[in-house]
Amino acid sequence: MRKVAIVGQAQVNASDVGKSRERMLFDLCKGFYDGMGITRHDIDTFVLCSNDFAAGHTISNVFEDCPVGAYMKDETKVEADGVMAVTYALARIMSGLYDTALVVGNSQGGSVMRPYLVMDYTMSPTYDRQLGLLNELSSAALQARAYLDAYGLGDEVLDRIAARNLRNAAKNPDAFNGKADATPESVAGSDKLYEPLKQDHCFPFTDGACVLLLAGEEKAKELTDKPVWIRGVGDSLDSYYPERNLARSKSVKLAGERAFKMAGMNDPAGELDLVEVSAKFASQEPIICEGLGLFAEGSASDVAVRGLAEIDGAMPVSPSGGALGAYPLCAGGVTRVAECYKQLTGSAGDLQVADARTALAHGQDGLYLQHNAVMVVSTEEG
Amino acid sequence: MAFEMGPETRQVQGMWDISTYRYRMEGGGVRLLTEAMKEKRIKGVRCNECGMVYVPGPTYCRKCFVDIDEVVEVEDRGTVMSYCVELADVRGNPRETPLISAMIELDGADSWFVGAVVGIEPEEASVGMRVKAVWAENPVGSLSDIEYFEVLEE
Repeated sequence: MRKVAIVGQAQVNASDVGKSRERMLFDLCKGFYDGMGITRHDIDTFVLCSNDFAAGHTISNVFEDCPVGAYMKDETKVEADGVMAVTYALARIMSGLYDTALVVGNSQGGSVMRPYLVMDYTMSPTYDRQLGLLNELSSAALQARAYLDAYGLGDEVLDRIAARNLRNAAKNPDAFNGKADATPESVAGSDKLYEPLKQDHCFPFTDGACVLLLAGEEKAKELTDKPVWIRGVGDSLDSYYPERNLARSKSVKLAGERAFKMAGMNDPAGELDLVEVSAKFASQEPIICEGLGLFAEGSASDVAVRGLAEIDGAMPVSPSGGALGAYPLCAGGVTRVAECYKQLTGSAGDLQVADARTALAHGQDGLYLQHNAVMVVSTEEG
Repeated sequence: MAFEMGPETRQVQGMWDISTYRYRMEGGGVRLLTEAMKEKRIKGVRCNECGMVYVPGPTYCRKCFVDIDEVVEVEDRGTVMSYCVELADVRGNPRETPLISAMIELDGADSWFVGAVVGIEPEEASVGMRVKAVWAENPVGSLSDIEYFEVLEE
């Protein structure tokens, strides 16, 4: 199979970016091309990732093509999490039809609309929407309670997970919701939303975009001396309906297994140097990590106490601060891949994991982690 | 003459009101349920391949990918599989009184029914607690015929 690498990234995140969506994308992409020393004509295909509800109009990419440089170019759109968009770009290059692909995810959930309400329109219109009890927060809280109860854990484990992410995010220049002095106590004292979830357990409403440039083997080596190779991808879609054990995610497990198989990994927990997971709520982080086989089931308290997920721990989890530092809908998964790229090129600054060579990015879409996508990236060409 | 490129932005408010939708659903399983609810009973559909009992019943098994039509009556009581306590609504407005929402596995069913649990304090709620439907006095055959669930002392 044709080898494909990531050769560059750029991102912007803010609670209010203070620009229109078009201008936000133009500034980001123009700056990215200039920084890479290329022009829009070096891009063979564009894969955009955005959401009609978040944009507030249908065919959300209609106003994105020109500001990303895709005027009269080959362009397509993914309306799901960004890891799926990166996977699509990978496939387009592997097809042999293209040498380069630019992935651009974006939304303005910080200043333009309220992201929770977008999720209301994923609900079954004939049943759940009629009852009016389920929404993004209540479903996340139901899953959080199911996880805590299944393993007899106290709510405070969520505070510890959130505090670690918020402290890391404070050191990430690409995140905006960091809290350098976050403690389990400060998280516990944040506003109560849907118990057991509090404000600091939840992703911040974000204006943001993330750009990732992919290239086939020969072109990648021309463009950079530090290519990060995409070694494996996996995806799995669970049923919408929560007629399953919410404390575990079979979909995460299968997505991980598919990616590990493609990457030829027999011992993922031993071979991965870090993971960047899309835990939109602190409670989802252990469910995702346990599904990937990185930690034992129900071990969240032990992981927190022993510091296993810290940057210098045995398995650093979202050293960037993850989705609690910034989470632009659709761009979220692109950002997770971009943060892995930063780590593997040694450009993660104060958040750098020592000797990071192989990393995993996870993206998700839907309620209760319904749809999961996993990507394994490495400095090793394979 | 160039204009000021500075940080000014302007916002306009917009609604997205394109239509009122008339969502279509496969009537069999839902009619089965709503007809039963008129008599304060609950009926679902069983898959003969995996044994899963769905309420409301779809016309095919989501896991086995086959048509299903075997009617099964289930209880109007069940076990709370998970719950949450709404203290502020999804638009960010604080609630005067907390609302407990629960995923309930009705006895005899395998899918989960969403319902509000009324009559207990949030700190009294637990996964595994037993609850029973409280029916409207004059059910009309709609999902709102179950007004809420109350905790069952067994």
